Amino acid sequence: MMALMNKMKTEKLETVETARKSSMLLEFCRRLIKSGSAKLGLFLMLFIILACVIGPYLSPYDINWRDATLMRAGPSAEHWLGCDTLGRDMLTRLLYGGQYSLLMGLLSAVIGSLLGIAVGLVAGYFGGMTETLIMRFMDVWSALPGMLLCILVSAAMGNGFGATVLALTIGSIPGVARMTRGQVLSERSREYIEAAESINCSKLSIMFKHLLPNVIQPSIVITTMSVGSTINMAASLSYIGLGIQPPSPEWGAMLADGKGYIMSDPHLIAVPGIAIALTVFAINLLGDGLRDALDPKLRG
Amino acid sequence: MADTPLLEIKHLKKYFRVPAGQNHAVDDVSFTIERGETLGVVGESGCGKSTLGRTIIRLLEATDGQVLLNGEDITHIKGKKLKEAREKLQIVFQDPYSSLNPRLRVESAIMEPLQHSGRFKSKAEMKAEANRLMELVGIDERLRQSYPHELDGGRRQRVGIARALALNPEFIVCDEPVSALDVSIQAQVLNLLMDLQDQLGMAYMFVTHDLSVVRHIANNILVMYLGQAVEKAPTEELFNEPLHPYTKALLSAIPSVDIHKPMQRIQLKGEITSPINPKPGCRFAARCPYACELCEEPQVLEEVRPNHFVQCCRCKEINGL
Amino acid sequence: MKNFLEINDLVVEYTQNRQVVHAVNGVSLKLEKGKTLGLVGETGAGKTTIAKSIMRILPDVAAYIRGGEVWLDGENLLEKSEDEMYSIRGSKIAMIFQDPMTALNPLMTVGDQIAEVLLLHNTKDKKEAMTKAGDMLEMVGIPRERYIEYPHQFSGGMKQRVVIAMALACDPELLLADEPTTALDVTIQAQVLDMIRDLRDKLGTSMILITHDLGVVAETCDSVAVIYAGQVVESGSKEDLFDHPTHPYTKGLFGSLPSMAVGEKRLHSIVGLPPDPTNLPSGCSFWPRCPYATEACKCIPTEEQVNVGVLSSIPNREITPGHFVRCIKEGE
Repeated sequence: MMALMNKMKTEKLETVETARKSSMLLEFCRRLIKSGSAKLGLFLMLFIILACVIGPYLSPYDINWRDATLMRAGPSAEHWLGCDTLGRDMLTRLLYGGQYSLLMGLLSAVIGSLLGIAVGLVAGYFGGMTETLIMRFMDVWSALPGMLLCILVSAAMGNGFGATVLALTIGSIPGVARMTRGQVLSERSREYIEAAESINCSKLSIMFKHLLPNVIQPSIVITTMSVGSTINMAASLSYIGLGIQPPSPEWGAMLADGKGYIMSDPHLIAVPGIAIALTVFAINLLGDGLRDALDPKLRG
Repeated sequence: MADTPLLEIKHLKKYFRVPAGQNHAVDDVSFTIERGETLGVVGESGCGKSTLGRTIIRLLEATDGQVLLNGEDITHIKGKKLKEAREKLQIVFQDPYSSLNPRLRVESAIMEPLQHSGRFKSKAEMKAEANRLMELVGIDERLRQSYPHELDGGRRQRVGIARALALNPEFIVCDEPVSALDVSIQAQVLNLLMDLQDQLGMAYMFVTHDLSVVRHIANNILVMYLGQAVEKAPTEELFNEPLHPYTKALLSAIPSVDIHKPMQRIQLKGEITSPINPKPGCRFAARCPYACELCEEPQVLEEVRPNHFVQCCRCKEINGL
Repeated sequence: MKNFLEINDLVVEYTQNRQVVHAVNGVSLKLEKGKTLGLVGETGAGKTTIAKSIMRILPDVAAYIRGGEVWLDGENLLEKSEDEMYSIRGSKIAMIFQDPMTALNPLMTVGDQIAEVLLLHNTKDKKEAMTKAGDMLEMVGIPRERYIEYPHQFSGGMKQRVVIAMALACDPELLLADEPTTALDVTIQAQVLDMIRDLRDKLGTSMILITHDLGVVAETCDSVAVIYAGQVVESGSKEDLFDHPTHPYTKGLFGSLPSMAVGEKRLHSIVGLPPDPTNLPSGCSFWPRCPYATEACKCIPTEEQVNVGVLSSIPNREITPGHFVRCIKEGE
């Protein structure tokens, strides 16, 4: 019996050893999927992205196809989600517009976070005057209402995809920067940073090899969550006539388009509105799941 | 050259600016460390013993004073020279839980100093060296790919020691390396440190609050109180015949495992005062049973016997020397 | 003399990540009135769990007292209802925790914190409680005027004094001190230990002192129990343990002490690590680290023993009156 137990122990050790070699990524995915809400968020998000990418090609209608007789028509067998104020197919435009909304949201959230992480890392690690200058600047920056900032940039840079992404990006930097700096401050006091210094690590190598991997987790979560809010912001910009211009369909623009008919034809508002809400909801679920999956304290 | 000591510390000061004023963490401390020697630095929390170690190996910038390594002033060197000096001066940290990057596997953690040294040409050479170091400090080969959180405190401390040894240092600051460990593990790590010194011949500065540990491992002991060195002597002399009133009280406060020895305790009144903006004069005076007016004058570290230094104006009188 | 506290075959398990942690495996202890028992052992040996079982403050969900009895003054505490325990805690048993920094509420004055304990258990009169709280502060060597100060205005040693004053406020008959001086400096530790000893003698309190420091035990305790992997491996009077350590683990602990190795170069450390409490070795839990281990030490416990949670079939033998050793090779 002892021999058997010993054998079992060796085998257990060996499996541990093999498991160790498989990447951290797999482990991360496994834990992400284990959480129910994250799974729902992930599937919803995949479904929305797939639909927006493939959908427009499957649709029998061109995005600019119109039939004046069908203006503001309700849902029917030919037009599942009805037609808009000019008689264009809502479903086609919704899916096509989704490409813009999602891409803008993702791009500006990712670029904004990368910049924010870099700024926060520099401020937190170097400290002193550098930190004071950077963080005061960030304070002023974030004191401006996000919407106002976006409107200013959009107005200055003109409309269009690039300008809108820029406007949205700028708005998302301070939050991530402040968060990253806070993380850096708490990590920097730990002894392994001093240990790295004592073995002649360069400042750059300390920042990227030692600090970054240990502070990036909350930033990833924040980034995911901010995709949702940037999509909202992009829609708001389009709604007030900045950002993506008609006839390009964008969810916010579609909302603006239907705003005059809330009472008579609610589907004009409901369709893009629900699409926005659903996407943001899915992203937030995913963000919550990410937070749990990335938390080292929960690692088994 | 042969008679220059490995390290010479001259009037070293390290002040920190705090909201309430200047924190005199290390205030005018001088001593030397010979090659292969172990100097124990003891004192209670806040006495500046860790700051002293970090300032010597240039993890902190000295406010004033000099550190000479092999006769060469390293207090303000920069760049390539600093890099070279740091390879000779290493540190083992107190807390094995926070001194390793949680995201580096054991092997990578040990290879890291090798990468920065530029002594190795290929990755294979570095791996071989890392393996040699792991064997040297007694870490099982199969733990190569483990993360720090999967190891117990003793093994983590071994990884920390391997990292410090990687650059072939001449001097290692051991900053409370065993105080976070259980007694049985503590003994293993202490044995390891002593074996390594026998094999490799580096000098240690052993910073600790545990007097029984330094008694076992150190040749000489420096007692610190609120940023100042109050007594320095060879280990046995210090334990058998402490001369400074603080050292006497400190030694009498250690709980002894000898149940038949009658307890003779010198009770100190009060607690450690603050090292922020201290008054000139003996900092121990407020708790000292022998304090008098003379103690308000600035004190000097005096060699009252060969190699036995004491900073106390009433030392001779108290001890009848 | 009748034992004031008697613990019989206490078994406590935790559930962690769906694994069973065998924290305490059949511990029996005895304590006479007015005496002090030292529990010695390494981190994770189960010392704190034993104390928390006596107080019945183990975490509800994770921990489970699987068996055993805790008799205090003729009453089995494990059979008490939560309401009954509520009045026993504080008034009959009190506990001092290791870290004085977290044991005090930072937003209440220290005096009020002591008075609050008194109001819960002793008296309804607020004036009286405040006066008594002032008395308690003076008793632990803090001037009465500092009643209105907040914990952050106190140093570590002072805070631990306040914690001790809180524990002693209701004249408990049993004091459980869990590493009360570990977080303190040597000279402060000496002050606090002296104070604890004086108060214990003055008030006649029985005490269990949990520590990993054999020196503290030598100075404070009357009897000692050495805990390893949730079991008492050796117990007896202080003289039994310090003059004739018998169990290989106890010997190893003494050998690991630098102060015992004066004149010797190497310390006699114990090889290896404490066992994983989710996967204890069968037989004597110390055999993987024991220099004297033989096949007989690895014997498997019978099914009957496993059913009541006993994982070791090594008997506890009395080698001299009152000196118990759990080792089958003790004679050799």
